[in-house]
Order: sequence, then structure tokens, then C-alpha cells
Amino acid sequence: MKKLLTLALAMLMVLSLAACGSSGTTEPSANSATSTEEGAEATDITTVEPGKLILATNCQFPPYEMVADGEGVYQGYEGIDIELATIIAEKLGLELQIDDMDFDSSLLAVQEGRSDILLAGLTYTEERDEVMDFTTKYATGVQVVIVKEGSDVTMDNLGEKLVGTQRGTTGYQYASAAPEDGGFGEDHVLAYDNGATAVQALVNGQVDAVIIDEAPAEQYVAANDGLTILPTAWVEEDYCIAVDEGNTALLDAVQAILDEMQADGTLDAIIAKYISAD
Amino acid sequence: MDPTALYESFKALEDPGFWQEAYMKFYNAWFYEDRWVTYFQGLLTTVEVTVIALILGVILGVVVATIRTAHDQQRLGRRNPVLGVVNLFCKIYVTVIRGTPMMVQLMIMGFVIFKSSRNFTMVGALSLGINSGAYVAEIIRGGLMSLDPGQSEAGRSLGLGYLDTMRFIVIPQAFKAILPSLGNEFITLLKDTSLISVIAGKEIVYFAKSIVTKTYEAMYPYVITAIMYLILVLIFSWLQGKLERRLRQSDRR
Amino acid sequence: MIDVKHLSKSFGKNLVLDDISEHINPGEKVVIIGPSGSGKSTFLRCLNLLETPTAGTITFDGTEITDPKCDIDKIRQQMGMVFQHFNLFPNMTIRRNITLAPVRTKLMSPAEADAEAEKLLERVGLMDKIDAYPAQLSGGQKQRIAIVRALAMKPKLMLFDEPTSALDPEMVGEVLDVMKELAHEGMTMVVVTHEMGFAREVGSRVLFMDGGHILEQNEPHEFFAHPKEQRTIDFLSKVL
Repeated sequence: MKKLLTLALAMLMVLSLAACGSSGTTEPSANSATSTEEGAEATDITTVEPGKLILATNCQFPPYEMVADGEGVYQGYEGIDIELATIIAEKLGLELQIDDMDFDSSLLAVQEGRSDILLAGLTYTEERDEVMDFTTKYATGVQVVIVKEGSDVTMDNLGEKLVGTQRGTTGYQYASAAPEDGGFGEDHVLAYDNGATAVQALVNGQVDAVIIDEAPAEQYVAANDGLTILPTAWVEEDYCIAVDEGNTALLDAVQAILDEMQADGTLDAIIAKYISAD
Repeated sequence: MDPTALYESFKALEDPGFWQEAYMKFYNAWFYEDRWVTYFQGLLTTVEVTVIALILGVILGVVVATIRTAHDQQRLGRRNPVLGVVNLFCKIYVTVIRGTPMMVQLMIMGFVIFKSSRNFTMVGALSLGINSGAYVAEIIRGGLMSLDPGQSEAGRSLGLGYLDTMRFIVIPQAFKAILPSLGNEFITLLKDTSLISVIAGKEIVYFAKSIVTKTYEAMYPYVITAIMYLILVLIFSWLQGKLERRLRQSDRR
Repeated sequence: MIDVKHLSKSFGKNLVLDDISEHINPGEKVVIIGPSGSGKSTFLRCLNLLETPTAGTITFDGTEITDPKCDIDKIRQQMGMVFQHFNLFPNMTIRRNITLAPVRTKLMSPAEADAEAEKLLERVGLMDKIDAYPAQLSGGQKQRIAIVRALAMKPKLMLFDEPTSALDPEMVGEVLDVMKELAHEGMTMVVVTHEMGFAREVGSRVLFMDGGHILEQNEPHEFFAHPKEQRTIDFLSKVL
């Protein structure tokens, strides 16, 4: 009996620890890094590991982030978000560390204090704003629908088809919502671990359409014969950088760097490098 | 008190305490928009996939084990060439399945071999069944080989044929001996069904992951999932224990 | 009844039986003795093809059983075998142990087999164990049941492979008594044993095997009184 009680207590402790971990209150670590570059405010900012800026992202989302064939821009990765993160880290005087994981995991990583910053073609939503802090928009995310060439799928009958999405994306959330909430319902939507798998399922014919961000969609269509993007966009959204809820110092510093890059044209140059202007 | 009303009352609090916070998260993971229904929907798929894979695994395992044992037990100098070829295929099957990760097998089945199938649950069940068959075959073969050869000699010396000897003497005893390992294999199989979420098989983990992406809170959905698996395994172990006790009847002194 | 011609058996490179020819007549009680490793058990096991001979022929009642086309199951139904380690089926009751083979081979109906089992168990004094499992019996009881199980097939010949070697000394007698009774009833028997007293009392002929050969054979009294070969004399001086 005593043993059982001890076991139960141990279980309870583990559970409450986990609860603390996920409640979003990151332990204030003793370290602080001061940004040296002019332009960034000289505030004390808190990071998970002293001297490091840990980026959570999902590197299967070209052209925002992807695994490079060679050295890439940073640690073998490249993409718009990777370049932005590199500059941000540099200006903050921190060493960038890229943690590549599933998109849904990356959303949790920042809240749970495993990563400092989230750049993953992340769309701003009100629900996400409750658990994370967002910068202003740095790019426009257009969600489009990829279908097979010559298929009968249109924006109007999409809800009757089987739609592939990437788990955790706004595309998945909107599409899998119940019909009365404007979605297609779970039965018409499949969630894959990443966009590439969803597109593979489309190529295989396992789904009729894939809802995904425009930029990666163009790359997937270019890479796979017989795919095309429906002319009308499914939804337009704002891509923002996120940090853990309440980490105002870091948010302000990142926002300042972002403003600066927007002002001097660095941002546009980076985006233009990956996305050919229409 | 009604869970929703309780949730609303906590939500209205200026500064909710630890337990209130915990309850609200649990509410989001379980009650909100009847999410609990999705867990059970996933649970049903999990059970369905397990049962199909189990049946398939046992059939495959028995067939493969029988072929391999029959091949190994042939009298010297009287080897059947057809059996030799079939045995070779069985050996390759067992080697490949045991030598590659379940996850990779699942992705090959889902995205390469059955790439035009939309019945993800069945593809998952099929992959798991094929996987399990290899392990079951080895367990059965081990059980048959561990049995005292005197048992089958006694059967044969009485004039019983090979099949009768297997059916009445060898298999019942081997079955009793392998039941614990077989039980382990089935528990592994049950838990491995969680992998089919990678090919969009909608079992418990699939829905738990989906709920996490909506609530941005990982603990409750995953802990709920873990508890559901645990309950399934406990039920299964209990059934296994009952069966073992029944089979032990002949051991009493 | 059994005619063995030029029988050889090797396991890999190890020659265990070397060109043995022997004839066993109906009603004979042949006792085979010899040091361990002499091939006596292998010889016995060849007689019902539990071991497949490497060379030579064995003929039983005019049928050549070493012929691959021969239905060995039919032949084995006519030869009972008793093993050193009893080999009762632990998953079945005594009744089922005895009736399984007669019923499955269609020798008897279930009711007939049951009656036969009861009759035989009565004879060996184990009727009260009919619904017990083997694990509940002593070694001597198990071996008596094993003999009954073989007898239930109404065999023409009984093979005994060291039937008392695995028994505690106080249980040897009860098993030998059953075998003696069987011998008096006129059953043809081939017995591999270390029980010299049994060989002397029951045997009609004693074979001495060593190194894969039958070195010497004789009627028991003569055999034990005047062994001819030096190896036989050495062996008997050790066991007697």
C-alpha cells in the first residue's frame, strides 16, 4: 500500500512538473546578452541558453526554410526565414542554433521554453497570439490549393474532396474545422507531418488537393510534373516572427531589427532572392 | 457542476491559480467542442487496426513457422526441393522485416507500394500485420524447436501422422510455452499502431496531435492518449493471464 | 518377424551402426546390452525408423520398411515403443494419452478405446489415475502408463529403450513386473536395458553390442555363464 502511495505521489509530481513546463513561464535565466549593433535597443534580453538564439522551425517548407544541398546559408539550411534569423542573431550578438522539427512541434517548442524564436512561415492568428507574442508581419502568406493537372477540383467543390494539409498549419486548422465553422470537417482532411509528404500523397493520388502556402506550393509544382495551382488563393495571411509569451525584451529587440531591415531594403532583397517577382 | 460552466467561471477569474489553469487546459483538451469524441474515434481505429493486424500476423506467422519447421525437420537425404524454395522466401521475408524499422516499412507501404490507396487504415493494418507475422513466425518456430523431440517421437511411434502429431501433441504444448512472448508481441503491435499516423491513419495519436495543434498545449492530449493505451494493454494482459491460467491446468500436481 | 540386413547408420562422420544383420522371430524376447555409445539405442530406434538408416534394409512382416514408398505410420501402429523418459503427453489426461492414437488412426471407436484403456489400466493397477495428468504421477507410474499407451494399439512387437534407466531405484521393480507379465503372455519384445537380472530371467536371447557391432549373442544362461569375447567379459565384470 505504501509503495502504491509513493508511486502515485511520484506520478503526480511528474504530471505537475510537466504542467509547469507547458504553462509558458520560462525560468528567467541568469544570462543576458546585450546587442552591440547600433539600431537594436540595448536592452537585456533573456534566452534559453546563454549566448545562444535557438530557432524552432520546420525545414521542409521551401522557400522559407529548407535543408540545403550544400553548406546552405547556415548550418546546412537555407531559406528566407533562415537568412532573417541569421541576421537577427548576428545583430543581437548571439550564436544562432537551428532546431529543425515538425511544424506542430515547433509551435510548442517556443511556448515551452525549448526555443527562443519561431520563424517557420508562421501565420498570425488570434488563438496563437494568446500563447505567443508576435512581431509585425514580414511577409504575406498566401495559401493556395495544389491539384493534379486536369482534375475537376475547384475552389467550390473542394469541401467534397479529400484534402491534404500539413499538421498544425492554419490550412489544416481551417480546413478540418466543422462545416458550420467554415471548414470541410475531419473526414475530408488529412494531416501530414510536413508539406512534402502531403504533396507526395497528391502525386500518388491519395488526396485530391493540397492546401499549402503559395511559396512552397510553387516549388512543389515546379518539382513535380502534372501538378498545378488553382488560380484563386484559398486565404491570405500575415507571416510573423513569434517568441514566447511575455518575453517582451526579446520581442522588442527582434521587432527593432525587423523594422530596420524593412526600412533599408534588406528584407525585400532576401525575399526577392528566393521568390521571383511576379 | 457542468464542465463548461466551471470552465467559464475559471476563465472569468482575474488570476487563475494552478489548479484552475490545469482544469482549463484539460477542458480544452477534452470537453471543448466535444473533443473527447475524437479520442474515442481514434481509439476505435486503433483497436480495429490492432485486431486486423493481429489476425494477419498470426496467420502469416503460423504459415511461415510451419514451412520453416517442416523444412528443418525433413529427414536427411529426402529434402523436398519445392519446400526448399518456399523456405528461402520465408527466410528472406523474416530477415527483411526484422532488419528494417517499422516506420520505414510503413512509409514504403503507404507511399510506394500502396500509393494509390486511400484506405490508410487498411494499409496501416496490412503493414503492421506483415511486420508482426515475421516476429510471430520466429516466436512460434522457437516454441516448436524448444519442445522435447521425444514428444513428437512418442506421437510418431504410436503411428500418428505428422499432421496429427503436430495438431494434438506439438502445437498445444508449444502454444502454452510461447504464450508469454506472443502476448508481448501483441502488446508491441498494439502500441505500434500509433505509427500509422505518419501515413495519415486516423488513430488516437493522429487526433491527439491534431488537438495539440489547436490548443497549443501538449500535456493533456498526450497524457490522455497514454492512459488510453495503458488501459487497452491492461485489458489485454488480463485476458492473456486468464488464458495462461486455463492452459496451466495440466501442470497442477 | 523383423529382418535386418547390412544396416548402417552414421551421424555426420560418426559411424554408429556398422553393417548389422539380425533376425528376430515372433515370440522372442531379445535383450540388448552394451556400454553407452555402443549403438544399441540407435539400433532399436532404427527398427521403427525413428532414425533413418544410412544404408541397409529392414523388413517387418514381409514389408520392406526402409523403402521410401512404405507408409511408415501403418507399420509403426504395429510396433509399440517405450522410451527412457516416458514421453507421456503432459497436456492430456492419462485417458487421452492412451486413447488418442487408437482413435485417430481409426483402429477403434472412442468407446472401444476407452474400454481398452480401462482394461489395461486395471491390469497395471492404475485405474484410479485415469483422469489425472502426467505431472501428477510418479516416474514408475508414468512408465507403466507409457507401456499401456503402447499396448492400446494392440502391437505385434514392443520396443523398450532403457525403460528403467530414468527411474528411482524403488520404482524399477513395478515397471519390470509389468514387462515380465507381458513377456509371459507371449509378446515379442526387443529391450535395451542395463537390468541384467531382467535379461537373465526374461530374455530368450541376449545381444551384446559394442562399437556399432553385435559382438556376441547367446541364450541368457550360457551368455552370462560363459561369455566368449574379451569385451563382453570386461563389460559384464563391471556391471554384475
